[in-house]
Amino acid sequence: MLVARDLEKTVKTAAGPLQILAGVNLEIKRGESVALVGASGSGKTTLLGLLAGLDEPTGGRILLDDHDLTAMDEEARARMRGRLVGFVFQNFQLLASLDALENVMLPMELRGDRDAAAKARELLERVGLGSRLDHQPRQLSGGEQQRVAIARAFAANPAVLFADEPTGNLDRATGERIADLLFELNREFGTTLILVTHDPALARRCDRALTIDAGHLLPEPAASAAAGG
Amino acid sequence: MDARVPARLLWRDWKGGELSLLVAALIIAVSTVAAIAIFVDRLQQALVVESSAFLAADRVVRGSRPVPQEWEDRARERGLDTARTLTFSSMVFGPERSQLVSVKAVTPGYPLRGSLAVADAPFMPGRDTDRLPEAGEVWLDGRLLPALDVALGGVVEVGNAAFDVTAVVTREPDRGGSFFDLGPRLLMRYADVEATGVVQPGSRLSYALLLRGSDGALEAWRDEIGDDLNPHFEWVDIRTGSDAIGRALARGESFLLLGGLLAVILSGVAVALAAHRYSQRQHDPVAVLKTLGMTPREIQNTYLGSLLLLGTLATTVGLLLGWGLQGLGLIVFADLVPVYLPAPGWRPFLVGGITGFICLLAFALPPLLRLRDVSPLRVIRRDLAPNDASMALAYASGLIGSLVLLVWYADSLVLAGWLILGTFGTVAVLMILAHLLLRTGRIIGMQAGNSWRIALSALQRRRRENSVQIVVFGIAIMLLLILYLLRTALLDEWRNQIPADAPNHFVMNIAPDEVEPITDMLASEASGSDAFYPMMRGRIVAVNGEPTRDAEGDERSRLGRERNLSWTWDLPAGNRIVEGEWWEPDETEALISLGADYARDIGLAVGDRLEFDIVDRRVEARIASLRSVDWDSMRPNFFILATPSMMADLPATWLTSFRLEADEKQFLTRLLRRFPTVTVIEIDEVMAQVQRIVARVTLAVEVVLSLVVMAGALVLIASIQSSMDERMREFGLLRALGAGRRRILGALVIEFAALGLFAGVLAAVGAEVTVWILQEQIFQLPGRLHPGLWLGGPLIGVLLIGTIGTISTFKVVRTPPAIVLRETG
Ligand SMILES: Nc1ncnc2c1ncn2[C@@H]1O[C@H](COP(=O)(O)OP(=O)(O)OP(=O)(O)O)[C@@H](O)[C@H]1O
Ligand SMILES: [Mg+2]
Repeated sequence: MLVARDLEKTVKTAAGPLQILAGVNLEIKRGESVALVGASGSGKTTLLGLLAGLDEPTGGRILLDDHDLTAMDEEARARMRGRLVGFVFQNFQLLASLDALENVMLPMELRGDRDAAAKARELLERVGLGSRLDHQPRQLSGGEQQRVAIARAFAANPAVLFADEPTGNLDRATGERIADLLFELNREFGTTLILVTHDPALARRCDRALTIDAGHLLPEPAASAAAGG
Repeated sequence: MDARVPARLLWRDWKGGELSLLVAALIIAVSTVAAIAIFVDRLQQALVVESSAFLAADRVVRGSRPVPQEWEDRARERGLDTARTLTFSSMVFGPERSQLVSVKAVTPGYPLRGSLAVADAPFMPGRDTDRLPEAGEVWLDGRLLPALDVALGGVVEVGNAAFDVTAVVTREPDRGGSFFDLGPRLLMRYADVEATGVVQPGSRLSYALLLRGSDGALEAWRDEIGDDLNPHFEWVDIRTGSDAIGRALARGESFLLLGGLLAVILSGVAVALAAHRYSQRQHDPVAVLKTLGMTPREIQNTYLGSLLLLGTLATTVGLLLGWGLQGLGLIVFADLVPVYLPAPGWRPFLVGGITGFICLLAFALPPLLRLRDVSPLRVIRRDLAPNDASMALAYASGLIGSLVLLVWYADSLVLAGWLILGTFGTVAVLMILAHLLLRTGRIIGMQAGNSWRIALSALQRRRRENSVQIVVFGIAIMLLLILYLLRTALLDEWRNQIPADAPNHFVMNIAPDEVEPITDMLASEASGSDAFYPMMRGRIVAVNGEPTRDAEGDERSRLGRERNLSWTWDLPAGNRIVEGEWWEPDETEALISLGADYARDIGLAVGDRLEFDIVDRRVEARIASLRSVDWDSMRPNFFILATPSMMADLPATWLTSFRLEADEKQFLTRLLRRFPTVTVIEIDEVMAQVQRIVARVTLAVEVVLSLVVMAGALVLIASIQSSMDERMREFGLLRALGAGRRRILGALVIEFAALGLFAGVLAAVGAEVTVWILQEQIFQLPGRLHPGLWLGGPLIGVLLIGTIGTISTFKVVRTPPAIVLRETG
């Protein structure tokens, strides 16, 4: 489903070029759930951005559903995202001007879905917000906003779902409920899940965990050990 | 992509108030420009009619020989309307008495602009007529009836022909205030001149071909005739035709043009600021939309479509509003200057509409197009802004847009170029100054109290944004100051030009022994009578020993023409020596002083020796000085002044002026009965006409100023709004950290007052320099300093920015900090 070969990312900084990722190779199968773990600043978010086609690597190749993301321009990558990819972010990223229902309808409308409203309503019922359809994001709590974001992520029935610390901004209990919801829907939709987290419990719920250390992917047994320990 | 998505996004932004500033800026841009354009259009229509009446035509070809028939034919081929006039002096004989008159013979169609007015008895109010004397008839100036002792229905003789007197002519549009055509008027048919037999070779004749039509056709005709006009004919349009009116018009138009340009620039800045802020606030949503699969092209089309939709709406509303505004302007200023203006044409609406769209494309589009390049990565890394290349594009397009608008408005690449160069030069200088000022602010802030420290450190922290803001404020205030100063200078100038109690009648040909009785009569029956000036007709016959006429007696140039001379020991009021020296009292050498323009025209300089023919006596004199003469003053003025000793034993007549109100005109009959040989010149009609024109231009100036003030206020609001998000976040944080409301409010007041102060100082400097240059270069008014400005500019800055700023940010203080922080993220 998702393959990365010799992935590299270097950015220019005032102090000279800075290599964030080097020689990253990975392969993720359809329906698999994978946790990306590692210390703060190790490059998790950077890798997630590359894999999701939000950013361009400075070296290497990424194949998403057999399409070479690295050979595409932003125009094509955007279409690709619309077709295959869903996101859940640490800071929710709902459109402030739209209400909950409209936020969830958005990805379906973008691809021209006729009965977007009905499906969106159903999904919001599913995440327990059936009575808050016409509320604006700022009228919702953080946990509620994240539930809307999850509903939106699954609305387009994506093949791959990327989540960057989806519970990072929430208290423990709420975080757990959100994680339950995420995995539940993930199973139901058969989505491939790639999840960045600092929470070992959350990482353990994934099929496997990949550990990044200072821009390098550690071999998997070590990664499992790191995730477990 | 589903078309409902962009529509919904737009609708939501609209409802959320995100778009209100941008839409307001666009509406105000379009409505100010449309209002100015509509207004100027109506005004110009009125002015064309009014001022062309001064020529009785749109253009005139004048000369001392008949204008070739072929020229007239060609003019008609081009669709121009034509008429001819012939003016000359002749004796007219009544049953008992005779009188020297100025005959004007006209062809059917005269006057092409304006109208004649006639009355049934002398010195009665006239009524407009579109008729002319029939063949065999003449119409006479009112004062000729007592002078010749005839009544309507009587008969007078001109040369060999007799004519019936059928009307009193009270107004003739092209009579003007000219002193060359002094005699009382006799109006007759052109075709009747032949029968009189008075037009002989050598008589002083003034032929004119009057033309009316579109500017294009007129200029084309002139190009076709080309150099054939010279040296015998003169091409006259209203600007060369009448000094007073021409100048008032030219200055008025320059002002309106400038006002329009400033309105465009200010509105453009407001639109750009509003669009910039809107675009900034769209970065996050766009990044999200991109992660959801919206492609850059779809983003671009979404915002382009929204903008076009908004543009169309704003333009429509703006045009309607503009139409209402100029109507309101007319009502508001109606007491000041009661005038009627013709209905507007369609052109100004087009101008307003096109301006709206150019504003939209040049100022609003670029920041929105940048959204196309917003990286979707922003959803995980907030600091990513679109790259600088698209920023440069935004500036370039704004620049080009302003240039296009300016050139289109000013119709002059040079003026537009200077304006742009000036503006950007000023911006650069102001930026540097603003930086310096902010730095000084920090040093002062070191030992300051609590609110002060917050305010000054806020000023420091956003130093870049604040220098931009100071410059924007500064420019807006500066443009308003400039316009206000120019308006005041123009209005003063016009008011002085024709004071309400200015003399509106001249009496000439007063014999020395009549001076005293006439003085008494004027003192008891008229108001505002002036001093008496001696006067004499004379001709320059030789310059430095060289005759001005050749053997055949043909005039070689305007040099040898008969002129009025006067003499005095004291330099008359309104005159200024520009070269040479005015004479000392009791000077015995024969010296003269010439009007500087006149001297330049005929090629004379200080030191030249002239020989005059004055009443058949030869008098020699040296040019001692050149004077600038205020011809607009409507007082007796002379090209040629001499030392009284030089004229001592010459038989002079005297000249004076006085004022009569419309209902006092009967006085003229009594005056002329008692002193039948004096000549009265009525310029009350002319002055009324000048006053009407000046009133219209004044009105225009006031309306345009108030519209530009509105545009300026909008810029201030837009600029403050665009810095609001940043301020909200900061002060929200400060409040969360425990700073009290009063302290925050104090800091806000101080911060904005400081910005206003800096902006005001810069504005005062900029305005002073610009107004000086504009007055000297474009308005032909003497430049002068405005000390009041140095206090007023900063004061206006502090009050205006302080107030608008504090009011706009009041929300920061009132809203609980939690909500502020939540909303600004
Ligand atoms: N555009 C950039 N310019 C400069 N440095 C960058 C850029 N993007 C990322 N970095 C640096 O690269 C490193 C990796 O960043 P990244 O956000 O991927 O870390 P992370 O593993 O997600 O950390 P965290 O767990 O704190 O979110 C960091 O040190 C970061 O400062
Ligand atoms: Mg991260």
